[in-house]
Amino acid sequence: MNQPQGNQLFDGKPVVEFRSEHDRRSFLRNALLVGVGATYVAAAAGDPRSFLRSSAASAVGTRKGPASGDLDILNYALTLEYLESGFYDRGIAAGLLSGRELALVTPIRDHERAHVQAVTDTITGLGGKPVAKPKLTFPKGTFTDKGKFLATASTFEELGVKAYHGQVPLIESGDLLAAAASIAGVESRHAAILADLTGGDPFPGPIEANLPMKAVLKAAMPFIKS
Amino acid sequence: MTIKRSDFVKGRTAVVPATVAVGALNNKFAWAQAADFEDDVDVLNYALTLEYLEAEFYRQGNSAGLLSGKERQYLDKVQIDEESHVATIRSTIMKLGGSPVAAPGVDFGDAFESRSKYLTTSHTFENTGVSAYLGAAGFITDKAILQAAAGIFGVEARHAAIVGNLLGLEPEGGVYMGATETPLTSAEVLDAVSPFLTGPGAMQDDAATTR
Repeated sequence: MNQPQGNQLFDGKPVVEFRSEHDRRSFLRNALLVGVGATYVAAAAGDPRSFLRSSAASAVGTRKGPASGDLDILNYALTLEYLESGFYDRGIAAGLLSGRELALVTPIRDHERAHVQAVTDTITGLGGKPVAKPKLTFPKGTFTDKGKFLATASTFEELGVKAYHGQVPLIESGDLLAAAASIAGVESRHAAILADLTGGDPFPGPIEANLPMKAVLKAAMPFIKS
Repeated sequence: MTIKRSDFVKGRTAVVPATVAVGALNNKFAWAQAADFEDDVDVLNYALTLEYLEAEFYRQGNSAGLLSGKERQYLDKVQIDEESHVATIRSTIMKLGGSPVAAPGVDFGDAFESRSKYLTTSHTFENTGVSAYLGAAGFITDKAILQAAAGIFGVEARHAAIVGNLLGLEPEGGVYMGATETPLTSAEVLDAVSPFLTGPGAMQDDAATTR
């Protein structure tokens, strides 16, 4: 249904370069969950709960239990947060914005930094290994043209919102779900403000759209240096 | 019982009562006593009461002619969203075999005396709504309902941010409420919205209120 505008993200140039093969694999391992996303869409037409009982455990054969799936979701979220955080670090530092725009976007940078920390701590707290910060290489022009920067930010936030909402029914832990939701709500605020700043629609629908990991990865994959 | 996400989404086209009738406040008192929720229908009825309140608030506010231009467009869209939430939650409750609560009686006082009062009250409602959904989400057991509720929660956050920005509030603490959203319990939400709920009215048959 809702295709991400992410296909145009950064003009299709690679923006993520993982520091180690481990980190790259850890992120790409989420591709294994693509099957889960696809299954979910199909199963949701029947009984979502039956999916959650059976398919989540069986569709990904290597999963030992719910915690492992949640950790994968967290590392997926962490990578997206690293992307956003790095993007805003560069954009704010570039001095493109001023006045109300600067005042509105600077807290977004701070939030994304906080999300990176929060998700990292959560992964560690669950006994997992957080992916390290990937190397980000943005295409030329991203941080020299205000309009391009804000448009990219808007695209990013909408994709992030959909990514979080796509994971809601897959997260097993209640505590983790609450934490993810509390972040997702903030991403919605960002998305609305950036839509307003760029002349877009802050309220694209009465319910946030969602994308399975598959679609988000499809948008993100071209930007990942292997 | 199976709820598909499409059941939620299609509610957008459903008819919402133009006037939210004065109804029983039994749900208000139920909130006051409820430390948590018995089941998904309970949570949905809690959300429904808030959505009734918001939908009626915007219906009255947007009729007051306080806004123009982009502000008016935005608030019109917010009203449509809230009406959609009412419709989708009602239909979901019925699909679950439950009975939607009647709309509460409401009185928004002087909220529509000025643009500033209208938007300020809206800002309070939206942020309360965001926190209410987050506080109640943990009680939802059906994952499809949870996803839809989360989807509504996110839209309330959009409303809150935009209205805060229309008011020219400080970005942090006015447009954004921190790096993470804060949940509220049902008792805290009741405290926040009870000034807008009028005294107990007669119990009303649900069908009578909505058709």
